[in-house]
Amino acid sequence: MTFDFVEPAVFALISIGVIAGGVAVVMLNRITAAALLMAFTFLCMAGMFVLLGAETIALFQVLIYVGAITVLILYGVMFTKFSDQPRALFFQRQTPLAAVFVAAVGIPVAIIALSFTSATPRPGGGDLVALATSVFTDFAFPFEVASVLLLAAMVGAIVLTKRDDPAEATLRRNR
Amino acid sequence: MTVPLGAYIVVSAALFFIGCAGVLVRRNAVVILMCVELMLNAANLGLVAFSRKYGSIDERGSVFVIFVFVIAAAEVAVGLGIILSAYRNRPVVNVDEIHQMKG
Repeated sequence: MTFDFVEPAVFALISIGVIAGGVAVVMLNRITAAALLMAFTFLCMAGMFVLLGAETIALFQVLIYVGAITVLILYGVMFTKFSDQPRALFFQRQTPLAAVFVAAVGIPVAIIALSFTSATPRPGGGDLVALATSVFTDFAFPFEVASVLLLAAMVGAIVLTKRDDPAEATLRRNR
Repeated sequence: MTVPLGAYIVVSAALFFIGCAGVLVRRNAVVILMCVELMLNAANLGLVAFSRKYGSIDERGSVFVIFVFVIAAAEVAVGLGIILSAYRNRPVVNVDEIHQMKG
């Protein structure tokens, strides 16, 4: 007895999770639930990276997306008043036109995507050594630039959300 | 049998379309940010799939995914900062109602 069916079966389960989570994020009225389902989608995506043999990327996915970005977005949801009606825009007069457009774009995309066939399969094993070698040799300069970008984004976020000093605010208002 | 590359690309394209539809349909700025994250993740899946199935041994596609992670984190931080400061000025998060950018 062989276990050849395991990988396609796991892939099918994970892809159902990814698609269903994405649709739920778009369709749900309750934004907190949508944010948590976005985390679920990211977790399924990490499983897909593991299936592809990119374990390091899957680890980063769980750390950055499921950990950091979901928490940030949940904070954003809780700081703002949440109410939204996504379905108000569905089922309007342009629906047949939109269906034609989606078919015109989606069918060629699906045909092109399914026409890719894999090259020879890779040997197993992690991707950490190859990834680290690439990042710290060929991509060392972009890596440093990325760190500067993160610093700039951090300072920018702090400046954007900083609450003004009241005296300073009145001074600016009177100017 | 292993999963063919085309299956991964189909899932990636489907998730990208879903995120794109979300950006167009939803009006809440935070949800639009979430849908942009979905689109970035779909692109990541495509990059990793091509890198693992086609690429050379040094995993260049996956290096790009790491940079996409960096950009996504920076984008969420700055985007939420903009949303929060706009919300503090006027308590709306509906992007149709935030049509004036004057200070």
